[in-house]
Amino acid sequence: MSVIAPELTDLQAVVEEVWSTFVGYEHPLCVRQVPAGTPLDSGVWSGAVSVTGEWQGAVTVELADDVAVAISRVMLDVDPSESLNDDDVADAVGELVNMIGGNVKSLMPGPSALSLPAVAAGRAVFPSDAHEVARLDLLWTNQPVRITVHTPGSPR
Amino acid sequence: MKILIADDSRVMRQIVIRTLRQAGHGGHEVVEAENGRMALEMVQSESPDLVLSDWNMPEMTGIDCLSALRASGSQVPFGFVTSEGSEDMRQRAAAAGAAFLIAKPFTPEAFDEALRTVL
Repeated sequence: MSVIAPELTDLQAVVEEVWSTFVGYEHPLCVRQVPAGTPLDSGVWSGAVSVTGEWQGAVTVELADDVAVAISRVMLDVDPSESLNDDDVADAVGELVNMIGGNVKSLMPGPSALSLPAVAAGRAVFPSDAHEVARLDLLWTNQPVRITVHTPGSPR
Repeated sequence: MKILIADDSRVMRQIVIRTLRQAGHGGHEVVEAENGRMALEMVQSESPDLVLSDWNMPEMTGIDCLSALRASGSQVPFGFVTSEGSEDMRQRAAAAGAAFLIAKPFTPEAFDEALRTVL
């Protein structure tokens, strides 16, 4: 049977490595226990990349607004007294999902190609033929962070 | 020494500059390009000693930029800093003439090790 999804432990390792390298260790990422399908109930930023080729799928990151702004400040090395504009936050969220998506791509059968990131101020919405094959619900500074992997077609 | 950093993400350009500093390479002059096409033009106009480039960029990818540079006769040292570090990508990078590929997320130590091969 062909591999269709990254192992959850591998996905978590990728996310933790990217997060600790570029956001830091000061506040830990903790697992958040929520039922499948639970929507994020706060304002969020979302970013997505798609992988096409031998393995096809999409990797999405959703971050509470406060998390998106906080990680943007860290990644851009911007002082808390300085304001950030939406372009800065979009850039940081895009780079975060690009790194996570690129590492997920490397875990899956290749060759394949990674898309440029698409970022939005709002929840991610998935097409009806996209099937969620992996989901990580996390908390950072007590705010939700969600990473999902979708593949096209029906669940196998 | 002059280093050209090519990445469509300002965040990542900032992080690369910060990591260069942390790796002990903060004394170099840095110029920035937002995509491969701009990097290609800036190799001509700025004559950098090293190019650090993302792979996946709008307008022109990093690998297309490298191929265009080599086709034009430029032998400027070129390294990738990219989120994709699979063996396939590393082989493609080396075949096109890249000196190294640093996969994100990276450490200052990984930067120092890679840069020592070309500096």
